[in-house]
Parts: sequence; C-alpha cells; structure tokens
Amino acid sequence: MPRLGWTMEAGTVVEWLKRDGEPVAAGEAIFSVEADKGLTDVEALDDGILHIPADSPLGVEVPVGTTLAYIAPAGATLVSVEDSSGPVSPGGPTSEQNRPQSIDSAAPRGGGNGQFRISPRARRRAIELHVDVASLAGSGRSGRIIERDVVAAAARPAVPRPRAAPAVRKLADEAGVGLAQIAATGPAGRVTRSDVRQASHRQPPDGLTEPMGQVRRIVSQRMAEAARTVAPVTLTTEADATELVQVRARLKDELSGAVKPVPSITDLVVRLVALALLEQPDLNASLVDGAIQRHASVHVGIAVDTERGLLVPVVRDAHLKSIHAIAAEAARLIDEARRGVSATEDLSGGTFTVTNLGMFEIDAFTPIINLPESAILGIGRVVARPVVLDEEPEAIVIRKMMALSLTFDHRVVDGGPAARFLQRCKHSIERPFVSLTR
Amino acid sequence: MRELTYTAAAREGLDEEMARDATVFVVGEGIGQRGGNFNTTSGLYEKYGPMRLRDTPIVERGFVGMCTGAAMTGTRPVVDFMFLDFVLDAFGEMVNQTAKIQYMSSGRLPMPIVLRGCIGVGGAAATHHSGNYYPFFAHVPGWRVVLPTTPRDAKGLLKSAIRSDDPVLFLEHKLLLNAKGPVPDPESDELIPFGCAAIRREGSDVTVVALAAMVGRSLDAAEDVAGDGISVEVIDPRTVAPLDIDTILESVHKTGRLLIVDEDYAPAGIGAEIAAQAADLGFDDLDAPVRRLNGLHTPVPYSPPLEAHVVPNRERIAQAIRDLVAE
Repeated sequence: MPRLGWTMEAGTVVEWLKRDGEPVAAGEAIFSVEADKGLTDVEALDDGILHIPADSPLGVEVPVGTTLAYIAPAGATLVSVEDSSGPVSPGGPTSEQNRPQSIDSAAPRGGGNGQFRISPRARRRAIELHVDVASLAGSGRSGRIIERDVVAAAARPAVPRPRAAPAVRKLADEAGVGLAQIAATGPAGRVTRSDVRQASHRQPPDGLTEPMGQVRRIVSQRMAEAARTVAPVTLTTEADATELVQVRARLKDELSGAVKPVPSITDLVVRLVALALLEQPDLNASLVDGAIQRHASVHVGIAVDTERGLLVPVVRDAHLKSIHAIAAEAARLIDEARRGVSATEDLSGGTFTVTNLGMFEIDAFTPIINLPESAILGIGRVVARPVVLDEEPEAIVIRKMMALSLTFDHRVVDGGPAARFLQRCKHSIERPFVSLTR
Repeated sequence: MRELTYTAAAREGLDEEMARDATVFVVGEGIGQRGGNFNTTSGLYEKYGPMRLRDTPIVERGFVGMCTGAAMTGTRPVVDFMFLDFVLDAFGEMVNQTAKIQYMSSGRLPMPIVLRGCIGVGGAAATHHSGNYYPFFAHVPGWRVVLPTTPRDAKGLLKSAIRSDDPVLFLEHKLLLNAKGPVPDPESDELIPFGCAAIRREGSDVTVVALAAMVGRSLDAAEDVAGDGISVEVIDPRTVAPLDIDTILESVHKTGRLLIVDEDYAPAGIGAEIAAQAADLGFDDLDAPVRRLNGLHTPVPYSPPLEAHVVPNRERIAQAIRDLVAE
C-alpha cells in the first residue's frame, strides 16, 4: 500500500486493474486505491508477472506499507505463499544475509522484507492440525504466526468457502453482495445466479454492521470535530429569486446548442457569494491554531452528495471567475466527485462552502461548518409564493422565493457582520444583473 | 537430609575419594597446612599428610606438566588453582599434552587428572580473578568441563571427576561456595554422572538453560514471571563438556522457546553452541528465535556497582523471559 499523500496512513484497494498472473509493465496502472477522499490508480514500478495472493486485502482498509501483491521477474518461479515466504525476489534473501549482526543485542530482527512469516513450530502444527496458515494473522512480534495462532485457528469451526461458478461470483461482486451471505439453492450448495439476484434486492437485515468507508470516516471525523469545537449560529432569511431564475433561463436560451454547461442556480449563487465575501472578509476567514486568518482569495467549496458520501470540491478564485468559468469548473468538479476520481487538491483549500438542498424541497436548514472555514451558506428550494410587495401601492404578487441559511462560527465572527453578509447575499440574489455584470 | 555448604560438600567428596584411593593426591598453592584459599582442603592435611597434599611454588605450567606426567603413570592428581584464572599460565600444557596424551598413546596411557578452581564474577575480585573460561576448554577435544551449582552436585560431580580416566576441569563459581543445600550421607557414595542435565524447575512456556550462578538467578526470575502467568522450565546442564543436549531438546519440544542465560561472554560461548544445536536438531520445535542473555563483552570491573552491572541479574533475566514469550 503506497503512501499517496503526505498524511495518508491507510488505504483501501477497491479494484485490481490487472489479474493475478498477468504480465505488467512499469508505468501500467495495476490497482485503484481509495484514500483520503480520493481514488487513485497505482502504477507498477517494474516489469514482471503480477502475483496477487489469495488473501490480498481487497475492499478493506490496510496500513500504508502493507504488502498487496508481488511483481516477480518473468520466468522466475513463484513459490506459493503457503509453502514459503512468498515469491523469491532477488533483493530479499541477499539483503537479509548481508544485514550486520550484533551478537549481544536482544533486539528482534530477521524477516523484515514484509513477507509471510511463520515459526517452524507453528508450521509443523499447521500440518498436523490441517490448518491453512495463509489466511492466519500472526500474533507474534512483527506479525509472525506462532503456535498459538495455529492452535486457535484449529479450534475455530471452519468456514467453508461458498461455492459458486466464476460468472456467479462476478455477478455477486458487481451487486456488492457477499457470497457467504447468500442462501445457496443450487446443487451441492452452490450459489446460483437467481440466489444472487434475490439477495441483491433484499435490504440488509436490521442491525447488520458495515465498516465505514474512507469518505464516511473522514466526514464523520470532520463533523465530530466541528460539533465539538465550533460555536455555530444559524441565520435564515428568504430571498426573492425571481430575477435569478430569469437570468438562468436566459443563459440557457443563449447557450442552447453550445457545449458549455448552463450555469446552475448553485453556480450563480457561488459567483454572487464570492463577490459578497470580498465585501465581507469577516466571513472569508479561518481559525487556525488560535489565530484568525483572513483570506485574500475566495475559494468556494460546493457540497456534493456522492455514492461514497459527502465530498466538497472547491472552485478556486471564484471571485475572479466569470459565471461561465465557474459553471464549467463546477460541472467538472461535481462529475469527478461523483465518479470518485477527484484529485486531492480539488478537495481541499476552500475558504467558504455552499450547500444546496433545494432539489429535495428543503427550505431552511442548519448546515455544519466545513472546518477550518468559518461559515457555510445553505440554499433552499426556489418556490413560487404569494408575496406582499410593501411598496406603495401594496400588492400581492407571485414571486419565486428562495430560503437561505447561513451558519457561522461565533468564535470567529459576530452576529452583526454575519447578518450583514447574509443580507448582502439576499440583495445580490434579488438583483443579480447588478452583481453579475460587475 | 543434612545440609552442607558447597565447599564443605566438595571437600567431603575429596576426603572420601582420598580415603578410598591412595593414588589420589592434591597439588596447589596453599592447599597443605593452610587448607586452601577457599578452604577446599582444610582438615585434610592433618589426615593425609604432606605427601598427598603438596604445596607448590607459583609455577602453574610446571605443576600442571608434572601432574600430567603423574597421571600418565596411573595416579590421580587433583590440581587446585584457587582462582581458575591462573590456569591460563598452564594453557599450553593443558591443550597440547594433558588433552592429547590418550590419543597420542592410542589409549594406552590414561589421563585421570582433575584441575579445579573458582570462576565467575562476584565479590569485587577484579578482572584478573573473575574469569569463566569454560568455553575455551569445552572447545578442546579431550577435556571434561564440569560446572556444579549445588552442594550435592559439587560432591557427586567431584567424586565422578576424580574417578574419571579423562582430564576434568572442575569449576566452582565463587558466589556459590557458601550456599547450603542437602547432601546425602557419606555411606551413599553418590556419584553424579557427566552429561546429565538437571531440570531445576518444570514449566511449559519457555525453556531457560542457565549456567553456574545463573541457575539460581533464573529460578528467582522464573518465580517473578510466574505471577504473569509464564511457566518457565529451568535447566542446569551441570557439565558443558559433555553437554546434555537431549534434555534441552526435550524441554524445547515442550515449550517451543529457548533462552540461554550465561554470565560468560556471548561470542563463541556455550550459549552459541546450545543455540546452534537447538536450531539444528530442534528447528521444528521452535516457536520463536533462540535467545541468549550474557554478561557484557568487557573485562570485569572492580567497582562493585559496575561489577554487578556486567552480569545478568534477576530483573534482566525476567525481562528477557517476558520478551521471548512475546516473540
């Protein structure tokens, strides 16, 4: 498991792009890793034959440095992991022998090439007790499998590997259903296609525990951190978005037939918010190590709901970009986030976040601040309502109204500036031509 | 059973053998009327007289050579070195003559000689009086090397040594000399054979092979770790040449773990030999690396705190046991 970013400590192999036994060339992508909100393809560093052990961790988070597979030189004999200590690699044994030995030291040494290790006694016991050691986790220092691991494994009832044709296995994989969880109805206890289909339609039983995915884990940590540290206050107001909706309709007309994406309501709000933040820099600030950093640039994060969980790609320098530039960039960022291929740098460095729940018919809500930012603007649905115009003569008119929810961190900014900022946003949304043509 | 000190038990064994066999005699510095620096012969001069307890000048090579010659004639010399460190002055005779005569004579000449002396670190005896040396002699074909650790063994092994037709180095650790322990009555005439290790404590988790003064400390450490649920088997080889590897292998077969505790230096020592044999003959029994705990590879200091530092103590042995069990 390679370290793909400075802070990466663990990652999950989500897919092998090459099969066991397949030749690979240096530079070819061999597997995909999910780590720290990004999905990255990892390339082979050497030419050779890819050997993926049966117990290579797939779909589970493992620490950086974990051995996932081996690339053996073409023509080299692959020694089965069960028999020995993995494929013979030219560097391994030699460097092991050349290691300087200090006689007096009682420090553990030996092994060290990260390969499969088992004590001679445990190996003998495994043969006696018919235990498959390849799947065992060693409890000895440095992970060596020792006798007690083998004895404990022998005492556990064997879990038979579910039987299924390769095509059925693939189907179950695609459906995300574990074969062991499927009730088999085929001959000799085989899982059949229809078993898989039936299982994939069923809801997971109540109380089933699932490990957190990488994204869920990070979201969970950040939310807990925000809930623990932030002093959140949420202000709500309603903006008359009639003109904003008209702007969008005209842009849509203008762009019909063009390849450029039509700016969404969110894109328009991002642009307006970026300009408002230039006027109200109190809200474009971060609390870092007890100091308030006011940012000269406005980088607006857009909350995106993906299959993997909440991601917040960032439109950089939104205050300098035209509405078309913002729309194009946001379209790319959202697409990449949904496909799980966001670059790490696109998922960090925001100074303010916009989140839109309008499509779910939500009005006001209380978004949680994306630390270390100090505020987040929630966009509610745009809905036509009867509105009393308080100009003379008073009249009831139908306007398209939009709920706005601003959560700010009272540690960083007070209610006054926050309210002024929200009012500024409201006015910009109500008179978008003025703002957008600046 | 009556209790005797280690020295008194060995002296009783010597007395019995001198009474039993008129060809047994003792040679050394101050072993006559003075009774020996460590009281190894006290009271025997009065009993057996100057012909059989013969004081010598300070010429180790000379009296070892003469006693080697005497043994060739069939008598049974016991050469008493006080501190065994002085054996080094007779090293050439011991390796080239004493050890090889039987071979050179095609077995026609016997070599029933015993060289005895105190070994070991302790009592601020300083670097010239604190050596162990047993690996040197275990290395040379011909020598028997004996390390008694209890009064009963001191007597029984000395009697076996005197009756042996091979040259024997009989090494008494100076910290054991005043230890008391049960010794059978003289009528029993107990002989303890060479090459027969003693299991001093039975256990199932780890085998500790301890030499000389380390046997007692390892037993103390075994008691300490018993509280952690670690069951230690402590083996005292009693003789390092011949070495009873079978008893050690049987124990390792049971426990899967082997620690050798030896006050002497680690490099090319007895622990290295035991570890090599265990790795060779007991490989499939090992559940963890074989480990050694030795005295530091340094001349022995005179300062009592420094002297205590260079040899394994109870705490360090207990820690080594815990570490090995965690492997």
